[in-house]
Amino acid sequence: MLKVMRFRPLKALTFLGLRFLFGRPVNERAEGEKTARGPHFRHSPFWGAVLGISISIIPLYIVVFVSNGMIRGITDRYLETKSSHLQAVLPFGAPPEKVQDLQRFISALQGVTSASPEIDGLGLAASSLGSVSAQIRGLDQSIAHDEGYTRYMRVDSGALNPKSQNEAVLGRYLARALRVKVGDSVTLITLRSVNSETMLPKMSVFRIVGVVSTGYRELDANWFIIPYKTAIRILNSETSYSFLGIKVTDPYSAGLDTVRASVAQEMRILGLTTNADIAVQTWRTTEQGLFQSFTSTQSVLILIMALAVIVAAINLASALSTFVLEHRLEIAILKSFGLSRSQAATIFLIGGTATGTLGILAGSGVGIFISMYINQIIAGFQFLIDFFTRIIAPAVHPIALLNPDYYLEHIPVNFSWTFTLIIVGASVLASALVSIVPALKSASIAPSELIRHE
Amino acid sequence: MSDPIISCKSLTKTFRSGAEKLKILESVDFQLEKGSICTVLGPSGSGKSTFLAILGSLERFDSGVVRVCGYDLGTMPEKSLHVFRKDIVGFVFQFHFLLNDFTALENIALPRYAAGIPRAEAWDSARKLLNLVGLSDRAAHYPSQLSGGERQRVAIARALVNKPSIVLADEPTGNLDAASAKEVAKLISELPTATGTTVVLVTHDAELAALGSTSYSLKGGALECLRS
Repeated sequence: MLKVMRFRPLKALTFLGLRFLFGRPVNERAEGEKTARGPHFRHSPFWGAVLGISISIIPLYIVVFVSNGMIRGITDRYLETKSSHLQAVLPFGAPPEKVQDLQRFISALQGVTSASPEIDGLGLAASSLGSVSAQIRGLDQSIAHDEGYTRYMRVDSGALNPKSQNEAVLGRYLARALRVKVGDSVTLITLRSVNSETMLPKMSVFRIVGVVSTGYRELDANWFIIPYKTAIRILNSETSYSFLGIKVTDPYSAGLDTVRASVAQEMRILGLTTNADIAVQTWRTTEQGLFQSFTSTQSVLILIMALAVIVAAINLASALSTFVLEHRLEIAILKSFGLSRSQAATIFLIGGTATGTLGILAGSGVGIFISMYINQIIAGFQFLIDFFTRIIAPAVHPIALLNPDYYLEHIPVNFSWTFTLIIVGASVLASALVSIVPALKSASIAPSELIRHE
Repeated sequence: MSDPIISCKSLTKTFRSGAEKLKILESVDFQLEKGSICTVLGPSGSGKSTFLAILGSLERFDSGVVRVCGYDLGTMPEKSLHVFRKDIVGFVFQFHFLLNDFTALENIALPRYAAGIPRAEAWDSARKLLNLVGLSDRAAHYPSQLSGGERQRVAIARALVNKPSIVLADEPTGNLDAASAKEVAKLISELPTATGTTVVLVTHDAELAALGSTSYSLKGGALECLRS
């Protein structure tokens, strides 16, 4: 009963706060005019505050959901096509039978989907039309069965993987730089050490059997993919990096560390490492720099967008303070009829929070809608740009809003309820916090002001 | 006299204006019986409104004792006074002081609704009072759509909604034309019978002051009994 009695005034105060702020008559009729009129939403400074908060919150959603999607998209591409989920670092020239034993052990582990050996190194790729530094990737044939690898690797022409020892698959931009296509030959120059002081160049000729792309230029611009066994032959221990690329069902789960510990222990048992702590690394370590760069960029963007929301909240506080000053008399009237200081403050606390919440909900709806349909919206703009460009300046090079070279031909959107709740919760809290000062001002108004007014 | 509903003893109130001290009320003694109408007559600036504000706890006083319905207003902390204003008194001012953004019915119901009474009950009480003041057909009208007399009648209904023991009316007809003033005066004169409340009315209008079963005059800070 006591609880009910405590909440009833709250309902009344909510009614008062909302009507005060939003529900005033549009046109006051001349005195004596008797036509009954319901409440109308007239021009109120709070509609401006609602609009301000709505507009300020929209970019926050877009930044969060699009950047989340892009980070996830880029990270997935790195994980599935380059760094794997875990890397078990192998000594160069490790006994093949031991590597196979390790591979079998790993494949039998719970949650592991594949384990494929790889050797990476550097070289110089040369065609008759130019030469470019190349990132050599010696991949095992088993990579062809890796679902993640095949999902993200787009074949521009030819095959996905080299089959015989002198075949190579090139990244799209390496092929473009060398001006070669499927069927052409490319010379790859690597270094072989003769002794501890001398290194000699080794030239190998490869026939191009495929041109591929992950859709993200930074990742595959210099890839020169050759068979694993060929890589062992042409690369040396000083300039290459050999590992078993391990994939699991969920690389973002904590189970990754369990697999890491098991693999490290097995490598120690097999004598493939003396330091198990660094022999097996998760993608969080191998791609740490990249991931941190993404998340810190995202954090800065969110901070900048959040500043806009804070400015909008301060605008709300300003509107609310002005409102309290302009309505001192009404507050004094309510107090003369028994409204307490805290109840007067609550009216404006509720009013301010409701104003903010209204803006937040409207902005959230629009923000989420734009985020979810960002590709269609951009496509619409692209259509308009193309249309007007063709009319106004047909000779001008087409303007692309999204550069496909950087995995932006389609913006991935990663909707998150967690982020939505954080944004809504933090914004409502900000609205409530900025309403405190005007609410306290209303609490301090004395009912005796009525007598002064008279 | 049975236990008075209002009693003032040696009530003194001064205002400071720079270095000058204005004595508004000086050692005022006053008692009022329950269920009566008391009028306080005095010219503008005589301190009538201040006296009424003190009785209604809108204003503090310098010295003396003021007891209203058993509440000792001099010793009550500021933060508790709202309970007194909610439960014991209802105000009618010279200017109606209705909230422009609320209908007549809402204006009347709000003090009761804000006091924790369920909405339906508060609205029901308001409707009854609107009927009492003869404005049941004006429930959905905003103050701007009512005449001066109607507004003041709504204000009287609002003052009664929390079932106060005392209604304090400050020049309730001061802003009205003669016809409206007559209507409002009639309504106020019927309040003790209709609602059982005690009325303290301050005015400079001798005709209105004649409503009171007891009447006082306030001049130079002193209260003089004209009729008891």
